[in-house]
Amino acid sequence: MPQIFPKAMNPIARAVILGLPVIAGSTGVGLAAFYRSGYATGIGEIRPQPVAFSHAHHSGQLGIDCRYCHTTVEYSHFANVPPTKTCMNCHQQIWQGADMLDPVRKSYKEGTAIPWERVHNVPHYAYFNHSIHVAKGVGCVSCHGRMDQMNLTVQTQTLLMEWCLACHREPEKHLRPRTEVTSMTYTPDQKGPDGNRKRFTRDDLPNRGRLVDDKGRVTDNPLLGTERPDTQAEMGALLKEEYRVRNAVVLTNCSMCHR
Amino acid sequence: MKFDTTDAATAHTPPAQWQGMDEYLGSPEFLAAVANEFPEDAAEFADPVSRRRFLGLMGASIALSTGAGCNLRPAAQRQILPYTVQPDQVQPGVPLFFASACPVGGYGEGVLVRSHEGRPVKVEGNPDHPSSRGGAGLLALASVLDLYDPDRSRQVTHRGQPAPVEEAVAAVRKLLFDSQGRPKANVRLRFLTGTVTSPTLAALLGELLAAFPQARWAQHEPAAGDGVREGTRKAFGSPRTVTYDFAKADVVLSLDADFLTCGPGSTRYSRDFATRRRLRTEDFIKHLDADDKAKYVTADRLNRLYVVEGMPTPTGSVAEHRLALPSSQVEAFARALARKLGVAGAPAGGAEFDNHPWLAPLADDLAEHKGKSVVVAGDHQPASVHALVAAVNAALGNAGQTVFYSAPVAARPDDKVVDLKKLTEEMAAGQVDLLLVFGSNPAYTAPADVLFADAVKRVPFTLHLGTHVDETGVLCHWHLNEAHYLEAWGDVRGHDGTATVQQPLIAPLFQGVSAIEFLSAVLGAADTAPPGGPVARRPREGHDIVRAYWEKTDEVRKTFPGFTAPETFEVFWQQAVRSGFVDGTRPVSGKAPDLAPNWAEGLPAPAAPASGDAYEIAFRPDPTLYDGRYANNGWLQEVPKPVTKLTWDNAAFVSPKTAARLSVDKTFRWTGGEHGRAEVTVLELKLNGRAVRAPAWVLPGHPDGVVTVHLGYGRPRAGNVSTTPAEPNAAGDPVRGFNAYALRTSDAPWFAAGLAATSTKDTYFLACTQGQWSMRQKDVVTGHEWDRKPVRYGDIALYKNNPSFAKIPPTAAGETDLINENVPGPKGGHSHGHSHGKDEKNGKHEKNGKHDGHEGHDGRLHPLTMYKDNEALVPGWDKLVKNGQARRWGMAIDLSACTGCSACVVACQGENNIPVVGKDQVTKGRAMHWIRVDRYYEGSPDDAASLKTLFQPLACVHCEKAPCEVVCPVGATVHSYDGLNDMVYNRCVGTRYCSNNCPYKVRRFNFLQYQDFSFSTLNLGRNPDVTVRSRGVMEKCTFCVQRLRGAEIVAEREFRRVRDGEVLTACQSACPSGAIVFGDIGDPESAVAEWKREPHNYGLLAELNTMPRLTHLAVVRNPNPAMPKGA
Repeated sequence: MPQIFPKAMNPIARAVILGLPVIAGSTGVGLAAFYRSGYATGIGEIRPQPVAFSHAHHSGQLGIDCRYCHTTVEYSHFANVPPTKTCMNCHQQIWQGADMLDPVRKSYKEGTAIPWERVHNVPHYAYFNHSIHVAKGVGCVSCHGRMDQMNLTVQTQTLLMEWCLACHREPEKHLRPRTEVTSMTYTPDQKGPDGNRKRFTRDDLPNRGRLVDDKGRVTDNPLLGTERPDTQAEMGALLKEEYRVRNAVVLTNCSMCHR
Repeated sequence: MKFDTTDAATAHTPPAQWQGMDEYLGSPEFLAAVANEFPEDAAEFADPVSRRRFLGLMGASIALSTGAGCNLRPAAQRQILPYTVQPDQVQPGVPLFFASACPVGGYGEGVLVRSHEGRPVKVEGNPDHPSSRGGAGLLALASVLDLYDPDRSRQVTHRGQPAPVEEAVAAVRKLLFDSQGRPKANVRLRFLTGTVTSPTLAALLGELLAAFPQARWAQHEPAAGDGVREGTRKAFGSPRTVTYDFAKADVVLSLDADFLTCGPGSTRYSRDFATRRRLRTEDFIKHLDADDKAKYVTADRLNRLYVVEGMPTPTGSVAEHRLALPSSQVEAFARALARKLGVAGAPAGGAEFDNHPWLAPLADDLAEHKGKSVVVAGDHQPASVHALVAAVNAALGNAGQTVFYSAPVAARPDDKVVDLKKLTEEMAAGQVDLLLVFGSNPAYTAPADVLFADAVKRVPFTLHLGTHVDETGVLCHWHLNEAHYLEAWGDVRGHDGTATVQQPLIAPLFQGVSAIEFLSAVLGAADTAPPGGPVARRPREGHDIVRAYWEKTDEVRKTFPGFTAPETFEVFWQQAVRSGFVDGTRPVSGKAPDLAPNWAEGLPAPAAPASGDAYEIAFRPDPTLYDGRYANNGWLQEVPKPVTKLTWDNAAFVSPKTAARLSVDKTFRWTGGEHGRAEVTVLELKLNGRAVRAPAWVLPGHPDGVVTVHLGYGRPRAGNVSTTPAEPNAAGDPVRGFNAYALRTSDAPWFAAGLAATSTKDTYFLACTQGQWSMRQKDVVTGHEWDRKPVRYGDIALYKNNPSFAKIPPTAAGETDLINENVPGPKGGHSHGHSHGKDEKNGKHEKNGKHDGHEGHDGRLHPLTMYKDNEALVPGWDKLVKNGQARRWGMAIDLSACTGCSACVVACQGENNIPVVGKDQVTKGRAMHWIRVDRYYEGSPDDAASLKTLFQPLACVHCEKAPCEVVCPVGATVHSYDGLNDMVYNRCVGTRYCSNNCPYKVRRFNFLQYQDFSFSTLNLGRNPDVTVRSRGVMEKCTFCVQRLRGAEIVAEREFRRVRDGEVLTACQSACPSGAIVFGDIGDPESAVAEWKREPHNYGLLAELNTMPRLTHLAVVRNPNPAMPKGA
């Protein structure tokens, strides 16, 4: 039988064989990179919304608290998108005739929902719960980014499982006092309005700063009124203890998020 | 030495506890099948697929999967649709519960329905409702699936053509009222209903009866007898409703009554009865508060149940003494008993039982417990038995103590009511002008001698209101689609007469109307009745109609002072709707009524036993389909029937001896997959010239000479679940099962003699789960079958002698200390009692050898594991303990209380989005139920008297040392820190190694895509908190992890422990007899830890050192020592 390939093919064949690990490796690296890319995860993608709602304006400029609209974030797994009624609370008074708000008025009048495009998507089999994260002092900004600077909402984190796990392994890196959860600008070394370091208030501490011992005696948490630590390392360690955030092994149990 | 032999030729000794005739007889097919969990063809395409078709399918699926898989961001396409105005109380993501009542056979069972953003998803019992007390029956639990049934009728039709509902109302009004709106007095109006307990509906029908003197109300409830009504009428002169207090009864005698699982009030009775069955030590009960004390019983107060019955039922199975007697002979037995008890005026008859070995000890026992016993007669026993039982209860002083008589709960104005037979005669004679059918389906359920379907064609105007266009609906001129009870306002009474206002949880999916809305419109639709006419305007909305009734009624005035004032009424209304029942509506039973002097006069002689070659036939409502109304409910079709373990079919049940007489093959000749496909002989049953062909099923414990058939199958027009072109029934018709109504006659609705039964040469495949998931195993060294002793059983004498009798290790391996850490021994009695709990609290674990010199109960004990405790593997466990976060979830099931009713199975199915797989898949051992109720027999199948039936609910036991985890190649099943054996669906690649290695056989594999996404209505009913599993994934009980994590999150948010009893698993919450407890076994005060410390607690297969977190409390019964041996 005649040779199918000419002899000149030999170096090419050798190169391919020797290069196989490189090809396989680079394919792997390439896929991994693609998997984490903005295209695949949706980071930075601006999705057109039925109403050009600007968080930068409402939250950043007007200073409306997150929970004015996202009312269920402290009680439910789902931080609700507000009902049209919430929009109309203000917009019955201001910008009544603005064209931009046509879909809102139409929704209110006809009782049909405004079809918002979901920006932060977590897969169906992952049961993320907002309320517990807020209760344990994880700031909105940790996952959602600087909403106060966004016009149309974009995703700033990958929302990949490895990203969830990074925090579940080291929650102390992201814990902050509970009064600062909705703050977009919080840093541990931030000074209060009087120029001094901030102090722990009742709202920062579990059970409004009350401790109950075995015999039922109630005492105040010794942290109450003390100055807050001003580094994240100290603050995180302290809050992890105070907020009874469980350890990495517990928080990475499969059934914590998958049911 | 033989290793793992499957040589079936060796002589067979049946195990002490066996699951079916084939296992008892050791049929070769069974022995071969049992050795192999996944038989050869389990994973194969069982359908004959040609090569061409296979390639086509493969090509298509590759194309499709590529198409779907190419979308790298499948999640990114979703929208959020918020409310425009958020309703009160609704927080998206937080479910709400609403109280209502599920009508079952006309009587309401109080339920709490969980609603996710307006979609009812799960039905649970209402702890405050007297017909529930927290438990929920099988039918109530499955009712939510009926709401989403894609086969429901979706529109009003007139002669098959869509029409508006107003047109139907106008058509009826035109016939009933003249142009002035005055009723036409001579209209011969007939309406046909089932049992009606709804006060509002009864009032509206009453108005119709008053306005039209010629009108009659036909009542037809095919699965309920009239024995109670007519029997009490005979005994007391007027009909009464009978209720029982089983919590107070020391001795109970059931005469063919399945009071624990069938009929109105059974859920409540099951709960009450169990309070006298949950055996606990004095130590356990001592520190409970009064309410909790009443839930348990010490060894000296266990009750005792005698059952005389035909068809084996769950009630008979849990009896101390069970006598298998043809239903026709129960009356003779009752008469003999009444005479023995010296009941004044007891009628003659039944002399053949005078010397029955049961009679003397039974009569003595009843006489010793005067005022503290109950005699209860079955619904399908004739009125004479009920009259007799009333007299016996009166003679025993039970009336007013444990047995209560009150005014009838069901509406039935005697002078206006006709039965179906009379109605049919009138219709055939052309004496009916107008027939309105509400929810009843007589074209299917009528006895064979009542030719309703023919007669209905002679009525000039017929209208049917029902949820489906069923056998009757298709015959009527008009069909109105009825609203489900979760869609409409209404009211209904419970078994004891307590009324519930039913509130809708969702707007009617298909714009259905309820009977009261339709009647209200007919009686006086505001737009058709002329102003000032004789018929007043009335409300059209269900809410207003029900509310208007309760505003007018006298019933609650006495209990709600100042009731008429509008603001007080508002308070009353809110309270009634919110709590799920109307306080004070239970009829007062007061003093026990006196027996009528002539109660025993004219009682017909008891039925004679079948003689000669003839057999007796007995008819029973199906345990899951009832009278057939649930035939299109997949959950109820697939749940294995409590005693028989059949699914998707009914059968002609015969005893082993009768089977031999009929030459029916007793070994079932298993074929197909995991011996779930039984090839059985087809019988031809002939009665009064009518014949059906029915598959025979050999049922141990069944009386000889009787063939029992279940009603409710063979429905041609129930819907797609029940109609099966691909799987014809034994007669070759494309329906599920055979129609037993075809043999039933109106004069002998429950049993009849003179049945001619012959076996044919044909065979039929039944799907039976009794042999599936068998835990049998052979010792690899000796080749002997291990005696697993799955259900441990003892009588009270054994228990008193050795309360720890159940802990005896069944095989050579000892139960180690470690096992007992999860199966703690009695307090103080053994080395790992209370002290264990205390140490646990401090986060320490006793190690072997540290005990104060006290040996365990088994001398062979020695540490068998080299692994550390699970908690020792969790870093920072001590800190978790300190913060109250160290939870060790565990469950205990009290087998003494379990009745095998299988409510847990359906509750689990609804909660966990478990798919229905269909008969064909069940025959391959692929049913997906996460919890199963194993049914074992002990004794000889030929001797019904000595046969014991034992039930054992079993879900994943969440082994501390789980065999499944170590064999999973992809880490898809792993342990969580709190002791759950997690199943990670997304990691699972479907090797099924885990299931192979599971000694309990509780894992279920999605061989095919079982979830049905083709119907949008079914999607509405899924639980959003549980992943919907896809093809190729293993799944199993998670201990309702979604509920655990939900409760944990609430507790963690508030920086507190999860309180004991704060989280209930679905099975626990449903269990009518309260046999299941769940909680943190690390908390020594928790109910589950208390249960597990009881001496008769044992770990199933604990000898394998799996350390199950789910343990069982052994069955302890209280037999009468005076009874004859083997009874």
